Amino acid sequence: MGPTPSPEMSTSREVSTPIRGRWFGVDAVSSLIGNLLLLAAIVGVGLLYASVGGSSRDALIVTLLTNMVMVIGFHVFVGNTGVLSFGHLGLASIAAYVMALLSIPLARKSVILTAKTPFGLREVYVDPRVASVIAIVVATAVAALIGLVVARTSGLAATMITLALLFVVLQVANNWKDLTNGTGGLSSIPRLAGTQWPIFGTVMAIGVAVWFRHSRSGRMAVATREDELAASAMGIDVFRPRLTAFVVSGAIVALGGILQTQALGSLGPRQFAFEPTILILAMLVVGGMRTVTGAMVGTVLVTVGKEFTRFLGDGPQFLGFRWPKVDGFPDLFLAAALLAVLLVRSSGLLGEFDAGKLVRGWVPRLPRSSLGGIGGAAPSAGGTAGDSAGVAAGGGRLEVTDLGVTFGGFTAVDGVSFTVAPGTIHGLIGPNGAGKTTVVNLLTGIYQPTQGRVALDGIEVHGASHLRARQGIARTFQNLRVFSALSVYENVAVANLVAATHRGDRAGGPSVDELLALSGLSALAQRPASTLDYGNQRRLEIARAAALRPVFLLLDEPTSGMSETESLAMVSHVRRIAAAVNAGVLVIDHDLGFITNICDRITVLDQGKVIAEGTPAEVQRNQSVIDAYLGTASTTPGSL
Amino acid sequence: MSVIQNLIDGLGVGATYALLAIGVSMLFGVMHLVNFAHGELLTVGAYVMYYLRQREVSWLVVVPAAIAAAVLLSVSIELIAFRRVRQASPFTLLLTSFAVEILSHSIWRIWLGSKQKPFAAPQIAFDTFSIGKLTVEWWDVISIAVAFLAFGATAWVLKNTLFGVSLRAAAEDFDAARLMGVKANRVISGAFAFAGLLAGIAGSLYLLRRGSADPRMGADPLLKAVIAAIIGGLGSLKGAVIGGLALGVVEVFVRSVLPSGIEGLTDAFVFVAIAILFVVRPQGLFTVTTAERV
Repeated sequence: MGPTPSPEMSTSREVSTPIRGRWFGVDAVSSLIGNLLLLAAIVGVGLLYASVGGSSRDALIVTLLTNMVMVIGFHVFVGNTGVLSFGHLGLASIAAYVMALLSIPLARKSVILTAKTPFGLREVYVDPRVASVIAIVVATAVAALIGLVVARTSGLAATMITLALLFVVLQVANNWKDLTNGTGGLSSIPRLAGTQWPIFGTVMAIGVAVWFRHSRSGRMAVATREDELAASAMGIDVFRPRLTAFVVSGAIVALGGILQTQALGSLGPRQFAFEPTILILAMLVVGGMRTVTGAMVGTVLVTVGKEFTRFLGDGPQFLGFRWPKVDGFPDLFLAAALLAVLLVRSSGLLGEFDAGKLVRGWVPRLPRSSLGGIGGAAPSAGGTAGDSAGVAAGGGRLEVTDLGVTFGGFTAVDGVSFTVAPGTIHGLIGPNGAGKTTVVNLLTGIYQPTQGRVALDGIEVHGASHLRARQGIARTFQNLRVFSALSVYENVAVANLVAATHRGDRAGGPSVDELLALSGLSALAQRPASTLDYGNQRRLEIARAAALRPVFLLLDEPTSGMSETESLAMVSHVRRIAAAVNAGVLVIDHDLGFITNICDRITVLDQGKVIAEGTPAEVQRNQSVIDAYLGTASTTPGSL
Repeated sequence: MSVIQNLIDGLGVGATYALLAIGVSMLFGVMHLVNFAHGELLTVGAYVMYYLRQREVSWLVVVPAAIAAAVLLSVSIELIAFRRVRQASPFTLLLTSFAVEILSHSIWRIWLGSKQKPFAAPQIAFDTFSIGKLTVEWWDVISIAVAFLAFGATAWVLKNTLFGVSLRAAAEDFDAARLMGVKANRVISGAFAFAGLLAGIAGSLYLLRRGSADPRMGADPLLKAVIAAIIGGLGSLKGAVIGGLALGVVEVFVRSVLPSGIEGLTDAFVFVAIAILFVVRPQGLFTVTTAERV
């Protein structure tokens, strides 16, 4: 546990001491307590079961716990980032070999290893516990190296690289006989008897996994899992949280591998190859990969199921029936359980459930003000209007000069220039296919322009999406992109977290709670974002963008699919939010009523070019706008 | 000379990979599924061959039967497993196919045991002929020829039949294709059947030389096919063919240049090379445009 900031130090106004990650929050504490209680229950039942059986039951408990450590390790990467890894047991294998090669007694080494053993390993002996630490360090270093590669790619390419890791480690273990003794494997590894070390390891794994999930990196990793594009538009660099997750999970899996090898006393190339990977992944998927609790429950269920089917497969007299002797029954169970869970409930049996939710009510609530990033304070009664004064003044001028992009010969945006004055609301309209959304994608770095420049207060905005967001350009999306599985509060809090680090110059302004109150979402704060209706998801997206403390809010069709009354409500809503964070607004919409109501100035695009600019009244009178927008001059705007 | 020798060997191996990879890539195109269960179509073909050859049935019957079994299994797997999760994320789909793969392994193991079931391969699979100093296996020539015929037929079907056009439309934008009257179930079943057919052909080429069946035999070629499809760019059938052939050739060349003693590391080297490719070009060699809008 780290130091808790004193409640007096950080109020909603003082960003000078932003709390990074809020990992001392009530969620983290209750999750830790809940999962440790669950572990205590599992271990308790397990020891009771072992006490009435032979030593094979003790071994079963140890296998259960060491598998659990590895499953929790997989959860940290796979569950939080949404990238499937086949490779982590390769890291476990590396750690186990390092530990074994260091800690096998010298007398045995001279028998197992040949004189050609590299690195002088034949003459080295290290205490098993020290060797374990060294092994974890080595495996973590390898994880960092591989992680650099994995985190740069995404989706399937990343998965294939992890598969390559597993494969390469297996082949090296098989073929570098001077080091690993090949398929013969290593034996006489000092054994750590008893269940206390595996229990200790599991407690460590739970602690680290819970810490990571609630850390800054963990929360950002989850945001990238939910929506990579929206996460980078919120200023989150996909690379760093993914790398951190890979390294942390690698260390945990390495620990599990070491403990399992020490319980066994021997090690071969197949011990951490494909079949164990399938087992561990099945445990993770069955329980639910997204929470530590899911990982633990999955481990228990699969272990119990495998043991039971092993018992049945041995051909016992059971339930008054003579069971046939079946070879491979546990494997059939494993495959069937995995398939059944995926077909019926692909998020795993527990889904998003964490044991922390059971004990959350009992965990003493620290004052909120000690928990928030920028401004964690509870909403002050009716203080919304005054709050905007807390934001550093000086909105910023958005200058777009000669912006253009070509997609394979098609010029979607052609030399577009406009300027938005500080603190104003500017509209970008045009018929379908005019290039409005493309302009927003160019401004936010989702597409890189082929020409032109974008500047905020004279400073050029360029680079990848997350860099532009950090410079103060926040956006919403035409087709909603909220972080579905996260709560409404977390959606906004993640953006707030980015602001705490990268937008410090615009400190202050409404807190997460205040933004939610402004958006009418306070009562829904703990609901998963996916359960909100359409209008609320739109408001949530705007609140999330506002939490970035942007200089400019880019709203891509905020009223699409809304009724006229809802559109009107959206006008005052956008005004209120923009005023609260003191941001200028660039809004795209089809809805002429909405646009003329809300905008100070309007730029009209047609076929990638600016055809008019001015106040709403001027633009409405402009003949070329009427022609372009309505196709014919005869139709009245009212008929739209 | 040895370069040409390796090239022929490599193309012979790669032809099998490519035929499997087309199926993998096609299914990814239509439903964003990386089908790890695709290799099981080889396994079912192998057991059919084993069963029929034990009864001395002619190869002229055995090979079509094995191909038919692959088509049937492919369509059944879609009905049983993938239809339910069709709308799920690629992640869930991949795991589902993975579950089907290990389910298939364990069923074969329980039913027929994990021991290899040998069946004598026909002599043609081992005959060679010489051109100058070059020794060429007939089976390599046959494999390459059959594979290229299949590539040609695939291209023709995709271009000229209603099924082919529907399939391409569905790969481009499934929702739009459905609005245009493409029946989702039919086009997906069709894609699985077609992929099964190609896998059956690939399996026959592979199995006649291998001459045995065992529960896990599909995993290795499938892994190669998935890699080939990803190298080529998932969804791109041209990419799958080139990826498969390239993988076969690279494998043979790496094996021939590695000093003896570490030739067991061939796959490790190939994997490292592929990992580097993914870093440089995560989308594979051929980029496939998707319909996702921001």
